[in-house]
Amino acid sequence: MTTALLQIDQAQCQRSGEWLFAPVSLAMNPGQLAVIAGPNGSGKTTLLEALAGLSLMASGQRLFNHSTELKQWLKHSHYLGHKLGNQGSLTCAENLQFVANVNLTTVSESTIEDVLTRAGLAGYDYQHASDLSAGQKKRLALSRLLLLNKTFWLLDEPFVNLDHAGCEWLYQVIEHHIKQGGCVILTAHDQKKIHAMAQHHMNLEPALEVA
Amino acid sequence: MNRIVKFYHEMGSPPSFYRITSHWLKPMLWLAIVLTVYGLIDGLLMAPTDYQQGDSYRIIFVHVPAAWMSMFIYGIIGISGIITFVWRMKVAEAVMMASVPIGALFTAVTLLTGMLWGKPMWGTYWDWDARMTSELILLFLYIGVAGIYSAYEEDPRKAARLAALVAIIGLVNLPVIRYSVYWWTSIHQGSSVSLMGGANGIQHWDMLRPLLVMALATKFYYIYSMLARAQTYLLKTERKKQWVLEAIDQQTNHNNPAGAK
Amino acid sequence: MRFWALFKRDVLVAWRKKSNIYQPLVFQLLIVTMFPLGLGAGAQTLAKIAPAVVWILALLSTLITLENIFKNDYEDGSLDVYVLSGMSLPTATLSKAAAHWLTTGVPVILFAPVIGVLLHLPAQAYAVLMLSLLLATPIFSLLGTVGSALIMNIKNGGMLLSVLIMPLLAPVLIFGAGAVLETTLGNSAFGHLMLLLGCTVLSITLAPLAAAAAVKINLE
Repeated sequence: MTTALLQIDQAQCQRSGEWLFAPVSLAMNPGQLAVIAGPNGSGKTTLLEALAGLSLMASGQRLFNHSTELKQWLKHSHYLGHKLGNQGSLTCAENLQFVANVNLTTVSESTIEDVLTRAGLAGYDYQHASDLSAGQKKRLALSRLLLLNKTFWLLDEPFVNLDHAGCEWLYQVIEHHIKQGGCVILTAHDQKKIHAMAQHHMNLEPALEVA
Repeated sequence: MNRIVKFYHEMGSPPSFYRITSHWLKPMLWLAIVLTVYGLIDGLLMAPTDYQQGDSYRIIFVHVPAAWMSMFIYGIIGISGIITFVWRMKVAEAVMMASVPIGALFTAVTLLTGMLWGKPMWGTYWDWDARMTSELILLFLYIGVAGIYSAYEEDPRKAARLAALVAIIGLVNLPVIRYSVYWWTSIHQGSSVSLMGGANGIQHWDMLRPLLVMALATKFYYIYSMLARAQTYLLKTERKKQWVLEAIDQQTNHNNPAGAK
Repeated sequence: MRFWALFKRDVLVAWRKKSNIYQPLVFQLLIVTMFPLGLGAGAQTLAKIAPAVVWILALLSTLITLENIFKNDYEDGSLDVYVLSGMSLPTATLSKAAAHWLTTGVPVILFAPVIGVLLHLPAQAYAVLMLSLLLATPIFSLLGTVGSALIMNIKNGGMLLSVLIMPLLAPVLIFGAGAVLETTLGNSAFGHLMLLLGCTVLSITLAPLAAAAAVKINLE
């Protein structure tokens, strides 16, 4: 019997009825980082969405605290996908306020200001999200992680669109989160540094034809 | 009892469904053809002339069975939709999607024959009476199920689940729609022409017999056409599976035994 | 509460893009201008068709706004944000419907008398007109969430959405426009309004479940 906080057994996903990759397993404990790697179209995003609880795994299961219950898992995890989830016609502060409210956390304006400053968006509080540059939009989305006190972060290609300074910042944020006992699962390619930091490497390989 | 349970389980798995129903296609088709031919001859030539409507009433031998089928098939779609939605049963999915074009066709035939019959009866091809209006709305429901499926066609599983949801929504609403339409005509018009009851209803056994024969014929045609389409659907959506390859092998061997060596 | 969080956000977004709010009204005004031009401006002719036209315009102008209820959220990813917050899907869809009703349904109700005046709707019908729309506009929004959830990741789904929900709206139109018509004829509209209320109750109970199912299937 394992005691890992997050246990993923033989997870597999389908797209249009076809298996995307061979089963993958993972056992994660607090303070660890897992990287999902694989070529384009290997199903990294699909796997991450399934892990997040957005879609269903075609087979396999996710055990969080020894339970498959979704509610507890959603309470302790935050997923950040390709689609950033910023509402363009709202300001940065309003976007964060909404995310906090819908996650049932109350935050003060100064907290939001602080989070935006840490994300390198100081002074952008009242800027509409649609007016930001691509990199700034990514930063705004990533700042949600700082706002919500969740253990598990599931990040889909978090380094895309970030400049050099942005990448450095994100490394620090991830490192800090892990040191605090958090867990991060992310997809990335060609990020040697993140691979060096990671305790778990999941390589997605094509599924074998099942008879 | 055990055999029924076993049969039920077998029909739930695509390969056995395919195998079992393959034997049914030909008999069903023949029954449909023979009954249609008999029903049409009996209905169009032998049945007595109606004393009020003359010969024009004979269109009911097509119109009424088609109307029955249009409702019946939507019921089947709704029920297999529920099974698809709740238990994700592949065969139910196939039955549902196979039934949609047939049901839509029967609905269209009902509308068309209704219009042709309306000309001598009402003096106009179209009248907004309760039956015709609710039949038209039924056609929209069929188009909706087919439309949502074709919009998601690249992902057949999702397409089928969404189509099932649309079918269930339609099934729940159908009574409300029909009730409201009948209620609406009852306020705005005197009465619509009744086929089956009243003074110009069917009283003769000689008139009823071809009608029942035609109703049976459409049922058999539906079973034949639905099974054939459901088989194609299963072959298409499960084309990667082993049983499909075997089934296709068998078919080719069957057709040219000399070729298989 | 999550319901209010989402509701507040949606209302704010609609308020920022005011075109969402006035577009249906401009649409109604454009179409209603065509009736006298096409029919001849005789007050009697217009008054006769007024109950139906006012109602159909309210319905059509709402219909053009429905597509985006879920589509925008799906495309920018904010759907993922609130679905993964642990919010129950029926609550989310109910909240979306409520916000849509406030930003589209309420303006349509308030604007209906204007259209009525333009079409010479008899004076005794206005109260019933607004009451019937008050009962019916929530149905439009609720069925809209269902339709919008069904088509949220297909391009140009507007036509399909109309095909999907038009049959469901037929009873609403029959009871609603019927209520106004009966009033103009001097009859009581009580029966019509009660049946309409029945439809409203039915949609409030069932539509969030159907919309939630559609969202769930689309995310899978």
